[in-house]
Amino acid sequence: MTAFRWRIGLVLALVLLFAHYAFANFFSKDTRSASPLLPDMAMRLGLDLQGGIHWVLGVKLEQAEQQELEFLRENLEAVAKDEDFQVASAQVDGTRLRVSAFGANADKVDAWATRTGSLQKSGVSGDEREFALTTAAVDGVRKRGMDQVLEVLRRRIEDPVKGVQDSVVTRQGDDRVLVQIPGGNVDRARAREMLRVTGFLEFKIVRDQAPSEELLRGRFPDGLPPDRVIATEHDKETNRVLMAYLVDAKPAVTGDKLKDARVDFDRQNRPIVAFTFDDEGGRIFGELTGANIGQQLAIVLDNQVYSAPRINSRIGNRGQIEGRFTPQEAADLAVVLRSGSLPIPVQIEEERTIGPALGADSIRRGIQVSAASLLAVLVFAVVYYRMSGAYATISITIGMVLIVGLMTMFGATLTMPGIAGLVLTVGMAIDANVMIFERIREELRRGKTPRAAIRAGFSRALPPILDGHITTMITAIVLFEYGTGPIKGFAVTLAIGLVATVFQAVVVNRLLFEVYPGNRPVATLSI
Amino acid sequence: MAFFELIKPDTRIDFVGQSKYAIALSSAIVLLAIVAMFVRTPPIRMGIDFTGGMEMQLHFEQAGSVDEGGIRQVLGGFGLESSDVIRLGERDEGVYLVRMQRESAGDQNELVDQVRDAMAKELGPVEVERVGFVGPKVGEELRRNGLLAIGVASLLLLVYIGFRFTPIFAPGAIVAQVHDVVVTAAVLVIFGREFDLTVLGALLAILGYSINDKIVVYDRIRENLELHTAQAFPQMVNDSLNQTLSRTVLTGGTAIFSSFALYFWGGPVIATFGLAMAVGIIVGTYSSLYITTPILLALQKRYGVTGTSAPAAKKGGRRGEKESRAARA
Repeated sequence: MTAFRWRIGLVLALVLLFAHYAFANFFSKDTRSASPLLPDMAMRLGLDLQGGIHWVLGVKLEQAEQQELEFLRENLEAVAKDEDFQVASAQVDGTRLRVSAFGANADKVDAWATRTGSLQKSGVSGDEREFALTTAAVDGVRKRGMDQVLEVLRRRIEDPVKGVQDSVVTRQGDDRVLVQIPGGNVDRARAREMLRVTGFLEFKIVRDQAPSEELLRGRFPDGLPPDRVIATEHDKETNRVLMAYLVDAKPAVTGDKLKDARVDFDRQNRPIVAFTFDDEGGRIFGELTGANIGQQLAIVLDNQVYSAPRINSRIGNRGQIEGRFTPQEAADLAVVLRSGSLPIPVQIEEERTIGPALGADSIRRGIQVSAASLLAVLVFAVVYYRMSGAYATISITIGMVLIVGLMTMFGATLTMPGIAGLVLTVGMAIDANVMIFERIREELRRGKTPRAAIRAGFSRALPPILDGHITTMITAIVLFEYGTGPIKGFAVTLAIGLVATVFQAVVVNRLLFEVYPGNRPVATLSI
Repeated sequence: MAFFELIKPDTRIDFVGQSKYAIALSSAIVLLAIVAMFVRTPPIRMGIDFTGGMEMQLHFEQAGSVDEGGIRQVLGGFGLESSDVIRLGERDEGVYLVRMQRESAGDQNELVDQVRDAMAKELGPVEVERVGFVGPKVGEELRRNGLLAIGVASLLLLVYIGFRFTPIFAPGAIVAQVHDVVVTAAVLVIFGREFDLTVLGALLAILGYSINDKIVVYDRIRENLELHTAQAFPQMVNDSLNQTLSRTVLTGGTAIFSSFALYFWGGPVIATFGLAMAVGIIVGTYSSLYITTPILLALQKRYGVTGTSAPAAKKGGRRGEKESRAARA
């Protein structure tokens, strides 16, 4: 009897615990976090239920390899200068670095390649040798590339000011990123802005300027001087060129030395972006501005000049960008600057946008229909099995509480297929109860006493229940492994549901039969 | 004690005897299903999940004045007349799906906005409820992963049954599973339903349900093998089917009921799932009764219950005796 009490107590405690978590879903986030009694958790609704944007982004990792080769090529040129050997030509061609060198110089190139530790010779023809990244180097480059992309996207999308709350950025496979931005009112076009490749900020001293690119070029009939390029300033509305500037090809300082960027307002109350450099950036910027007082400094973002103010005095680690922004544009630019540039371009491979109305409608209908059909089935169970049917109703209800509680605890996401998974789970729960009751009836027909029949019924029904649940669990695991998005949601709900089903059918039901008839010598059983 | 019974306990249906007709019928259906899937014009409709492309779901306020032709006409203005226009649900709901082949998501936003504005001008207020874009690479992967999932799941279940029961139990369950999936898919094709991730999910759920159904019967056969050692194997199998029949009908019935509820009242998004589940459960129940057991019987005849060798030679004692008798029967 004490063991029995213990079991009752344990089951009640478990049910209360999960009911506690399940209960939290009925309150809003604010109420939950304000109340000391409620757990600050809730089931997450999938994008198909609450609306939002779902992206699968392909990361162009080949470009990371190219960038690495480009970096090595520059390194080769620097080394050749230092060690005094001649490289006739060196260029990156896809995933190959082609180097031409003559005589003894070629050996020096080979020695350099070996020293880098990441190049292997993939071919020689005449004086030209071809290098490729080693497998280890490729793996390293790709992994680093993915990490950087994830980092930057996370910073942009999860940005506290402009980003969207509860959005999720995760890696998917080797070269994909999954982005989920909930909320049906997110502006697709603006969200897409966050995938902007660059946001690459450069500061360059202006060497010359003219109202149009042609005019500026006209001043250099023999072509632009080496190490100089033209950058243009555009009118935001019309995209017309306002001014063309001749600037250094190599920037003096770049945006990766930025520590912070935020929206501010100038004296006329126009939005500007104020930024702060880190220590090193501040030092370089100070030197640059100190040496060029009276000159213009072009602030170049993604090869477009935002403004080119005159340097009046040495500037330390603070500066600002004025560019006739709207407040929104200024905020967006600040985010891009804060997060740094996206080192590798990404491409949208899958996009799903679900409006909030559709989401709300499908959740309402899905839940209503599921609840109504469950109710109908439970009524049928009571008609068919009478008292035992009522037991099934109690235990299946407890099972549902467990499912919702477990899903809340795990922070699982409820999707439309997830609701379908719940319906399937309910089917399995009913099956488990039916198997037990049918078995008890059978044992009664064979002339067993109710007590013996209950014992035999439960123990004989257990193996098929377990086998059925284990095989369905196998399916759920495979689905989780190979499925994406909504199908994963189905798998999770199903897996959680299966655990709860076994518990309610085998443990809760058994306990109910122990409460009544228990050890009483009853002559008949309502089943 | 009197029980409320749908299936009387003394029910004795000769499932094993009827199974030869069932096998013939099922072979014909499966063959027909395969033919139907390839001959049907248009052939199986694949959703953008598997083909790649773009789709938008439009909800028109003035449902009465909108039809597929009108929508297609507006699309023609964008050079998109080759798009599929599919009505979801009843006409008075005014919900349509427009699908087009596109390689990249590049200018999708603008296009969606432009199409919406043009539709609103021609056909009255409209809301874009959903936009989907799947690149060709992802589409191909989803397709491959889907097939892989079905394959891997089947294989794992085969191994599980092989170990939990004996190896001869596995093939029948797997053949029945393939049968269930093929027939369900064929019915969906006949209903003009589209294959997307939701249908794939449903097919996998059917796989799980179907195997559960078979296991209940198998478990009964295993129990009877230990209890009624003198009985001929085919008779024992038939008894097992009849003993579990009440459960089969009750569980199957309630599951079919719930699935049809989703089909009829669940809304356009989940209707296909409901239909697939309902059909799959009907087919799965049928295959438990008629497809699984004849294969089990044929294998038992050849390899014995343990599936390791000719039945009579193995293991002496009561068990071996029983198996050999069963094999002769």
